[in-house]
Amino acid sequence: MAVLVILAAGTGFYISLKQSQNRLEQNAVAQGLFWPNPKRIKDFSSEDHNDKVFGLNQMSGKWSFVFFGYTNCPDICPITMSVMADVYQKLVVEFEDIQIIFVTVDPERDTTNKLSSYVSYFNKDFIGLHDEPKNENSLIGQIGIAYYYNKENENYLVDHSASIFVIDPKMRLVTKLSPPHQSEKIIDQFKNIKRFIDEEN
Amino acid sequence: MKKISGLIFTLFLNINIVLAENNLKVDITDLWISEAPPTISVLVAYVTLKNNSEIPVSLTSISCSLFSSIEIHRSIVKNDIASMERHPTLEIPSKSTIKLSPGDYHLMLFNPKTPLKIGDAPVFIFSFSDGTQIPVTAAIRKRSNSTY
Repeated sequence: MAVLVILAAGTGFYISLKQSQNRLEQNAVAQGLFWPNPKRIKDFSSEDHNDKVFGLNQMSGKWSFVFFGYTNCPDICPITMSVMADVYQKLVVEFEDIQIIFVTVDPERDTTNKLSSYVSYFNKDFIGLHDEPKNENSLIGQIGIAYYYNKENENYLVDHSASIFVIDPKMRLVTKLSPPHQSEKIIDQFKNIKRFIDEEN
Repeated sequence: MKKISGLIFTLFLNINIVLAENNLKVDITDLWISEAPPTISVLVAYVTLKNNSEIPVSLTSISCSLFSSIEIHRSIVKNDIASMERHPTLEIPSKSTIKLSPGDYHLMLFNPKTPLKIGDAPVFIFSFSDGTQIPVTAAIRKRSNSTY
């Protein structure tokens, strides 16, 4: 009897997993999902562009688009932020629970004042974060962001991830949107991902 | 008679302008600076360079009194990592056009002496390997939102 129950449970789990995989395969846009085992983001403590503590409480219950860059980056970062400004403007009329987060990988030069002016320029709702990689469970560490300082002089450049990471309201890192970024493509991807996750929940 | 001499003078003037334009080896068009938050210490400019001559010519330096220095850079995104490489000069092959554009070649403008806003018109001096120096006025523009 016990064997039958385990067998039935196992079969049920297998069918459910298979259905989930089939749905994923049918949905070309959602294929980049880290599914069925997305990483769960643990609590972390960073500071936002208003010098306020920012952690799990500020992210849970919301869809977060997270981009890692630095304000002295004149090309790729502002391009990505402009794309995200367009994405946010179009998505926020349909979905209230969305936030755009810019995490600096250059906290030494990106002061709170600079970060505040930078994120607000693209949209007043955008959030800028100082996330210290040395801190336990830093967002940079948890997501595994690579960056490298080319410190030749005071105007040094930083190599950094160009992807946008999406964390769902349950704090699961569900996907990475790779460049080149286009607002319409990101909006389509997000809607497909959200539909898929909502069906899974 | 006055009308005829006026016409001849106008024709002469036009011919001179056309000749002067044809003598320019490089056409520099669409020079624009992307508007940025006032606290930013590195701005970016884009431009189109057209070499009209039969021989290659190199852009060797760019200057503008509003910035401490200007460098030619290229953005590269490889394996999801964004980086930039500096190019001391930029060669424009004969009879070719190079467009410096978002996500590719661009001019890095270091330490603006004053925040720039739409309507400002700073003058840049482009210097080339043949000794030519061409002044060009830049426009300040808001970046397009939807793509790169």
